Amino acid sequence: MSDDILGGEGFLTTRVDAVVNWARSNSLMPMPMGLACCAIEMMAFAAPKYDVARFGSEAMRFSPRQADLMIVAGWVSYKMAHAVRRVWDQMADPKWCIAMGACASTGGMHRCYGVVQGCDNFLPVDVYIPGCPPRPEAVIHALMDIQEKVRNQHSVATDAHEGKGAAEPMPLRPRILTPSGDSSITPARLYGTEEG
Amino acid sequence: MSKLEFHFTPVDEPSEAEATQNPHAKDTTFNPEVVQALQTEFGEDVKEVFLYANEHTVYVSKDRIVDVCRFLKEEQGFTYLVDLGGIDRFTDEDRYEVFYNLVNIKTSKRLRLKTRIDEESGSLPSVTGVFRAAGWNEREAFDMFGLHFEGHQDLRRMYMPEDFEYHPLRKEFPLLGVPGSLPLPPQTPEAGLTLDPFAAAHGSKPIKSYEEAASEE
Ligand code: SF4
Repeated sequence: MSDDILGGEGFLTTRVDAVVNWARSNSLMPMPMGLACCAIEMMAFAAPKYDVARFGSEAMRFSPRQADLMIVAGWVSYKMAHAVRRVWDQMADPKWCIAMGACASTGGMHRCYGVVQGCDNFLPVDVYIPGCPPRPEAVIHALMDIQEKVRNQHSVATDAHEGKGAAEPMPLRPRILTPSGDSSITPARLYGTEEG
Repeated sequence: MSKLEFHFTPVDEPSEAEATQNPHAKDTTFNPEVVQALQTEFGEDVKEVFLYANEHTVYVSKDRIVDVCRFLKEEQGFTYLVDLGGIDRFTDEDRYEVFYNLVNIKTSKRLRLKTRIDEESGSLPSVTGVFRAAGWNEREAFDMFGLHFEGHQDLRRMYMPEDFEYHPLRKEFPLLGVPGSLPLPPQTPEAGLTLDPFAAAHGSKPIKSYEEAASEE
């Protein structure tokens, strides 16, 4: 970093929440719950071509104790649902969940007696991905949405001071940065598509 | 413009041409000698021989199915049981059917055996004594149709949970299942099982564990 950024002082100040959430969001370790054909696209998402290592999530953890993002990839049968929920309960807090594909989100084309009609019937899902199967780009997009959520929602400071059940914290990082609180900054101005 | 030809499986008896001149017919499934040998050996117990698209299907009575299989395996060289499964015809008489697909690897011949079971008895002899490979297939047919294979060593359910009460491939079983028969896991680690299969549609929202109230202890 140049002296310019650090203001010539050689250090910077920030908030614990910002640093912790920044670290967390860039090292999400997925628990690959590959249950059907979608699992193949999930593998592509981790493999070199799409390379999710760019987002810090290349370390698939097959132990729930080490994972903090569950990707439910594929249809969940009623029999498997109990195992999925058990794995979810074993994951340490804080944790997030992606329902990948039509089947995990709604049961998809498997509208029948053996398949749970959407894993949100027993899991708190954060992001749903449409598609059958979704392309790896879509999974990456879902991961980026989770990162956005991690950076904005979870607050270590609130946890420490108020414990469980505290109100949801204010977003730390608005989607469009307005350093001076200037609300006249619009995407059009940011991307230079507007005159003046 | 050339005319599209549509080859369908006839509901009624196939005509002479359909039985033998189907363009998809293969020689491997045409076994007149084996059928002849079966008829000589078992007489009345070979109930019907059906030929469609050059495929022989032999209906035998269920009491002799083990003998027929043993005869085919030991005398006719049909050593490989490819598949075995159940069919629900949903008829008043002889409601269920079990098929056995056999292959003679040396002569590259295939034969399909079928046997019919009425709804009341719902049971037939197991062929696991002849073909050990039939074990899992018979368990599957038991799971899906509730057919009891007498003499099977380990007739448990194959796919559905052990305590499931129904047989889902029977025609009267509803497509989306019987609500409450297959519980979903609890919504929180300490809650009971979820009996409503459409909990989310009925407003249930599972929560993250850090949003749960602290437990009693
Ligand atoms: S959404 Fe499509 S690709 Fe994914 S598990 Fe279901 S059927 Fe397979």
